[in-house]
Amino acid sequence: MKPAPFEYVTAETTEAAVAALERFEGNARCLAGGQSLVPLLNMRLLRPAAVIDLNRLSGLDHVTVDDGRVRVGALVRYSTLETSALVAERIPLLARAVPFVGDRQIRNRGTLGGALCHADPAGEMALAAVTLGASLRAVGPDGVREVPADDFFQGPYTTALAPAEVLTEVAFLDGRGAVAAVAEHARRHGDFAIVAIAAAGLPGPGDSWRWVRIGLGGVAPRPLYAARASALLAGTRLEPKAVRAAAEACLADADPASDIRASAEYRRHLIPVFVERVLAELRERRRGGTR
Amino acid sequence: MSSRHRIRVTVNGRAYERDVQGRRLLVDFLRHDLGLYGTHVGCEQGVCGACTVLLDGQVVKSCLMLAPQADGRTLTTVEGLAGRGELHPVQEAFREAHGLQCGYCTPGFLLSAVALADRGVVLEGKSLRAELAGNLCRCTGYQNIVEAVERYLRQTVGSRRG
Ligand SMILES: Cc1cc2nc3c(=O)[nH]c(=O)nc-3n(C[C@H](O)[C@H](O)[C@H](O)COP(=O)(O)OP(=O)(O)OC[C@H]3O[C@@H](n4cnc5c(N)ncnc54)[C@H](O)[C@@H]3O)c2cc1C
Ligand code: FES
Ligand code: FES
Repeated sequence: MKPAPFEYVTAETTEAAVAALERFEGNARCLAGGQSLVPLLNMRLLRPAAVIDLNRLSGLDHVTVDDGRVRVGALVRYSTLETSALVAERIPLLARAVPFVGDRQIRNRGTLGGALCHADPAGEMALAAVTLGASLRAVGPDGVREVPADDFFQGPYTTALAPAEVLTEVAFLDGRGAVAAVAEHARRHGDFAIVAIAAAGLPGPGDSWRWVRIGLGGVAPRPLYAARASALLAGTRLEPKAVRAAAEACLADADPASDIRASAEYRRHLIPVFVERVLAELRERRRGGTR
Repeated sequence: MSSRHRIRVTVNGRAYERDVQGRRLLVDFLRHDLGLYGTHVGCEQGVCGACTVLLDGQVVKSCLMLAPQADGRTLTTVEGLAGRGELHPVQEAFREAHGLQCGYCTPGFLLSAVALADRGVVLEGKSLRAELAGNLCRCTGYQNIVEAVERYLRQTVGSRRG
């Protein structure tokens, strides 16, 4: 099908985008990479009065380091994340997660900000943001605010953004020296995950780990940071006993649903399997020096 | 109400200026406004890759872009590949390796292959298949497509390097 009629508006500044969103009183959508929005328009699952194109907006495609934080503009495309040396070094989890998304064409257009605003419960970018405790910057009619990733995702395709707010930037803690891994189960590579588990950790003395953070995707209405499992793993050598305890804690936090891709029971079966797998990969990568 | 926009695009080296509706999909603009029917429409939801074109040299699915987004940009479609009466090397490779049957998916695969060559990467097997994952074929079982692209990349990128 083809999209229903709408007004196409290009915004050259964030302020102009906010003003345009306000003008259409909640009945307009931002257009970033279009890789989720345009299918929804084509299927007429969405019929906004206006589409506000952010692609001519300058200044939201940066990757910079300052003050112990790595700031990534909302309009940075997957393909940039995939090849950025800075991302590979400072946000290794993001670099590991990107290749799981879609395919080459999708990654040439899709943006970090668009993926986060779309808030698919199985989306890899949302999973990485929650796992790493990222902070999201929103600009709206009342000014700027920072929203922790954990508060940003409220449910399937639902975020904390107000109708006239634009996501402009995502700040990650500088993860220099950290090792990261993603393990996911999908019907086909590049398809949305049935279960996706992300982990990042900082090597400590000997074989120990200073900290480990685990995130769970596709197992609840929104991506989850597994706080208890992460706490259990800090200071350990990821020995079998610690890994099993963490896997159990993850399973207890999860609240999977049955949907077209898999049953809740199957997802529960997969969670500990993939937690063990992702932690094994973390150890492997440390040993092999491939972060 | 759908808005109207005057856009200028360069397609296959030729400049066009047209009026389009805001909701006009790029693939429909190419087919119906410019008469370039080589870019195909399959799913209109970004899955099949039949509508793949090059936007400033990068592969994109033209069913997931609006025509006014292409204003000021440069596009290549399958019609831009062959020279006068001569097949493009990628087309030659597909012919030699029997890389097509009905041909519906072929324009998309050709452009994906050209973009890989432009990036200067020689891939084969599994890693090549991962790069081509955005193009689906209902006929061939992929074996000959992958072979055709391998052959083309070896020839083009290989000889460029050597
Ligand atoms: C075939 C296919 C396979 C895919 N596979 C995967 C996959 O495996 N994993 C995965 O995670 N995703 C997948 N996707 C989705 C893809 O990652 C999208 O690119 C992403 O979800 C949306 O990013 P976008 O930049 O394209 O945003 P858009 O589609 O432009 O926008 C998405 C939503 O976010 C809003 N929005 C965008 N940017 C902003 C902003 N800055 N401020 C406020 N609102 C904004 C839009 O209004 C819209 O509601 C797939 C898509 C396709 C078509
Ligand atoms: S028609 Fe564009 S991807 Fe299928
Ligand atoms: S040759 Fe028929 S779809 Fe590929």
